[in-house]
Amino acid sequence: MKFINLVLKSARRSKRRTALTVLSVAIAVFLFSALRAVLDGFNAATEASSSTRLVTIRSTSMIFNMPTSHVDTIRSVPGVQDVTYANWFGGIYKDPKNFFANIAIEPESYLRMYPEIIVSPEEKQAFLEDRTGCLVGSGLVKRYDWHVGDKIVLKPGIPYYGTQDYPFTIRGIYKSGSSAVDDQTMWFHWKYVDERGAVHGQVGWVVALLNNPDAATRVSQLIDEKFANSPNETKTDTEKQFQASFASMLGNLNLLLGSVALAVVITTLFVAGNTMAMSVRERTTEIAVMRTLGFQAVTIFLLVVGEGIVVSIVGGALGAFVARLIVNGEFLQAAGGFIPQFGVNNWNAVTGVGLGAVIGLLAALIPATMASRLKIVDALRRVA
Amino acid sequence: MALIELRDVTKSYRRDAIEIPVLDRVSISVPEGDFLGLMGPSGSGKSTLLNLLAGIDRPSRGSVRIGDTEISSLSERALAAWRARNIGFIFQLYNLIPVLTAFENVELPLLLTSLSKKQRRDHVMTALNIVGLGDRAQHYPRQLSGGQEQRVAIARAIVTDPKLLLADEPTGDLDAKSAGEVLTLLQRLNQEYKKTIVMVTHDPHAAERASHLLHLEKGTLVEQVKVG
Repeated sequence: MKFINLVLKSARRSKRRTALTVLSVAIAVFLFSALRAVLDGFNAATEASSSTRLVTIRSTSMIFNMPTSHVDTIRSVPGVQDVTYANWFGGIYKDPKNFFANIAIEPESYLRMYPEIIVSPEEKQAFLEDRTGCLVGSGLVKRYDWHVGDKIVLKPGIPYYGTQDYPFTIRGIYKSGSSAVDDQTMWFHWKYVDERGAVHGQVGWVVALLNNPDAATRVSQLIDEKFANSPNETKTDTEKQFQASFASMLGNLNLLLGSVALAVVITTLFVAGNTMAMSVRERTTEIAVMRTLGFQAVTIFLLVVGEGIVVSIVGGALGAFVARLIVNGEFLQAAGGFIPQFGVNNWNAVTGVGLGAVIGLLAALIPATMASRLKIVDALRRVA
Repeated sequence: MALIELRDVTKSYRRDAIEIPVLDRVSISVPEGDFLGLMGPSGSGKSTLLNLLAGIDRPSRGSVRIGDTEISSLSERALAAWRARNIGFIFQLYNLIPVLTAFENVELPLLLTSLSKKQRRDHVMTALNIVGLGDRAQHYPRQLSGGQEQRVAIARAIVTDPKLLLADEPTGDLDAKSAGEVLTLLQRLNQEYKKTIVMVTHDPHAAERASHLLHLEKGTLVEQVKVG
């Protein structure tokens, strides 16, 4: 501890250089934390998804719909306890920039099968009774300052629903009770939009509740067999698998984002290492003087490493803090509910600071070794 | 009794394939409490001799004994620990650490001891008061004159109460007035505090303050003179 003052003062030797090093580490940690938040968000949604609910979509792609007759057929499959269905509406609220998920559901069965959508009984009843009513997430309410009773108009984003406006009335505000469900979605009556749309009687996906979770594979196969060799063949997975495959539509995220994060960290390592090396070169005489005074080579090594770690920890803390500020605030809304649990959690923040320390340690290793091996006489002679 | 004993000390450096002789079979004996001046033309080996006494360089042949310790046979680690306890070094260019205050510069050698913070503080202020800079403890080197910086460097050299002070041209970068103050201080440390001092100098005025002079030429001792 008695050397801490020496370490801190050495770190402040060149304020501009130290500030730039802190900033470069902060940027690396910010990117790392933000990218980790994306990965953790997808993983959290997948982990929290149900394995007692099956999701059936068109086998070709989710963007193609299925006839409503599929719903009753799936209901009749042995092992299926309950069924609901939904469509992606893709509506636009005032401006395409205002992106959030808006989904047409069969309201009674959907709310029954998704107890994670938490809404008061009164608001639920009001929603069920009003065909043009909608439920909105608490996150959306905060974002747009909505209230129960407000009128909202969506323009359809998919030609399937025509070109006319779709007015809704907010009948309730829901909270999310699980990582699998976000609070940034607008739910409304499937019948309402189906009647007004250009094409009728189509559903985007069907959700089936299993009697027995262990029968998931068998029941999935039974469902798909019902529609095999038909114009509307299906693909059925557990909701967990469906979430995972949904994320994998974006590619191998782990590899992609992990590579980006690693590249940024390595680049920062080289920058910080070069800065430390320059700083040590400038202090050749001082190091020689300290060795003359009796400082051991290992003490010099630890002082230089300590300096590197201190500077980088400050950068790491700054990067983690800014990541929490930006990612947990604005960015969540920009994800539009695609990633329900999206944010820099405490563990990610601590990891970010730790990453800063590791960058500082690795960057300082070579300069610290060079400093500790300096020949005193040669170093003193350089100035003379 | 001799504090310093050099026996047949030879030192040469290797630069690429060339062997450069610097000292050739030098033997000297310096009694405790002496103030020795080392003089000679540039390249005569004065600073090399000082470096050998400080333990920051090793002889190619011969032995260097300071007190009871044969320092030429110590390991690097042992040598560093020995220097911390026994040597105070004063450089021509002061070599204070610019980001540390005068207090913190003088405290540096004490960080290697087991003294408490309060004890370190007391030692530092005593040393600064001896050199007459107790009121400048919180000033940075850039806020001090050359003479004051050298006095802080002297405080740093004496703060651990070493047996031996080694000064490499301590007045080489100072004006006449400041040089005079520094030399008076060194004389006081020798006469009043009984410090043994070995000082390399080109300056005849500095040489006058020593009690003995050694002249080196081309790495060999050519003359020993008692002053005063």
